[in-house]
Amino acid sequence: MESENVIEVVHLTKKFGDFTAVDDISFHVRRGEIFGFLGANGAGKTTAMRMLTGLSFPTSGKGTVAGFDIRTQSELIKKHIGYMSQKFALYGDLTVRDNLELFAGIYGVPRKETDARIDNLLGRLSMSHEKNSRVRDLPQGWKQKLAFSVSIIHKPEIVFLDEPTGGVDPAARRQFWELIYEAVDEGITAFVTTHYMDEAEYCDRISMMVDGRIEALDSPGALKEKFGAASIAEVFDILARGAKRTE
Amino acid sequence: MSTFGYLFIKELKQFRANPFMPVVLVLLPVLLMLLVPLAANMEVKDVRLAIVDRDRSTLSGRLTDKISRSGFFVFTSYEDTYEAAMEELGKGNTDIILEIPAGMEADMGKGESVEIFIAANAVNNTKGSMGGGYLTSIVSDFSDEIMQSGGFASHQPLKIVPQFRYNPHLEYKLFMVPALMIVVIILVGGFFPTMSIVSEKESGTIEQMNVSPVRKRDFILSKVVFYGILGLFAFTLAILIAHFVYGLASHGGLIEIYVSAVIFLVFMGGFGLIISNYSETMLQAVFLMLFFVLIFMLMSGIFTPVSSMETWSQYVTYILPTRYFVNILRAVCLKGSHFADLTFDFVMLSVFAVVINAAAVITYKKQN
Repeated sequence: MESENVIEVVHLTKKFGDFTAVDDISFHVRRGEIFGFLGANGAGKTTAMRMLTGLSFPTSGKGTVAGFDIRTQSELIKKHIGYMSQKFALYGDLTVRDNLELFAGIYGVPRKETDARIDNLLGRLSMSHEKNSRVRDLPQGWKQKLAFSVSIIHKPEIVFLDEPTGGVDPAARRQFWELIYEAVDEGITAFVTTHYMDEAEYCDRISMMVDGRIEALDSPGALKEKFGAASIAEVFDILARGAKRTE
Repeated sequence: MSTFGYLFIKELKQFRANPFMPVVLVLLPVLLMLLVPLAANMEVKDVRLAIVDRDRSTLSGRLTDKISRSGFFVFTSYEDTYEAAMEELGKGNTDIILEIPAGMEADMGKGESVEIFIAANAVNNTKGSMGGGYLTSIVSDFSDEIMQSGGFASHQPLKIVPQFRYNPHLEYKLFMVPALMIVVIILVGGFFPTMSIVSEKESGTIEQMNVSPVRKRDFILSKVVFYGILGLFAFTLAILIAHFVYGLASHGGLIEIYVSAVIFLVFMGGFGLIISNYSETMLQAVFLMLFFVLIFMLMSGIFTPVSSMETWSQYVTYILPTRYFVNILRAVCLKGSHFADLTFDFVMLSVFAVVINAAAVITYKKQN
């Protein structure tokens, strides 16, 4: 039986010159949960996530993702995870279907399953009629939903979402979280960074990062209780008071 | 289908969706091949010639006639004195003066050598020296003719015999057109893959690739192969124009030409990828590429022969793969050389192609 923790991180640190972007963080993520990775802009969320997804080497510390070492087995990790970047990163000059087919192919989805998966994913997004539209012509909210679909087309164990709802209206954000729930229902673990504190309420557990360190980690309810706060935003205000970094 | 296959199709679809690049791919070779040889023609025509004929004999008449028939010269004036002609030269009305001394026919009849005087205005260096060269060769030709036709006792004067091998008429387009074919292949083969990778960096799509299990060599190979094929397409267009417009008939096999073009395109593709590995923006990549492309073009014997460079810079050309490609193309087109004659060039070109692509794979970092 595999460990129930799909991500385990111990003393993970990343330095750029004198600047310590991620400062000695340790945590784990359980299989099947939605793990919220919160923090202000510049707190080190994206840097930490880049180490977990095999885009960046840690300066020190160690970690495993889906049972593979983040330092030495990053290419194996990449087969088992999906990733949605903060910046929209699909091929804007290709159509919706081209993008989905490309990434399905790259991740080794069997050819005969690809069409069914694409139809299923687009059906869920109510985007079937846009199958042959150029991706760059889609509205922002749709682009993000499509990017999410691309990141789970190969049914990964864990999907990493870096600020997935940046720049869209509250209704679209709500819809996006419904997609995350659907994916989690299928057994995918979701690792989500955000700086929208209201979104934290949708997560099973959240960690709060301030100046490269994890200052708190628990379920939203337990955190509110611990800090005597009415909302996660309030908890964050209490923790962020000591922050030195801006942007 | 393999990962390479998916990536190759992706390149193809992106290229087709691009409104700009396919047009560039066709226009670049067509315009370069059609316009530049006309504009940058270094053949000298219509050299303005003033003749000072002090002999006024049948013989001097035959000489001027021969010069006029050569087609290189227009006669601006017939002067009686050298001074008058010199004045015209000073005013810029003429480029060259030919002075035929008095008593030429008579002296030659007596078996004496006769000196014919040529003065060229070297302000327009090419026109002056090339015109002077043409004139010298016509005059010596003429002296040959009258020798053979007999009637004169003069022993043959010392004579330079210029022999231009492989390009007997020194036609500039025979030199220029293959050079432009190489320029086409350098531009398409170098810039297209570089711009494609850097635009993936700028749009962030490369990160989506880096976080996927795509192997580096598949990603790089998809670029090198796809843009290599585009390079061959542009090169073929250039060859067709060279053949049908300029009548450049290759003396050697197309196989040698295409094999060398493929190896060279693999090199250029790998080289472009290394440049994009070290560039964050399109601007950086284009300037860096331009720097190397200029060196490739100016130092590999494309426009100026390697053998007339400074000795130290001749050694430098050995590390420029373009040198070998230029060698192969010229030798095959003009001399009809075969693989066996060009083993060294083919081997060196292949070594460069392999090494540079290995370096492209190594310097491409998915994780840093």
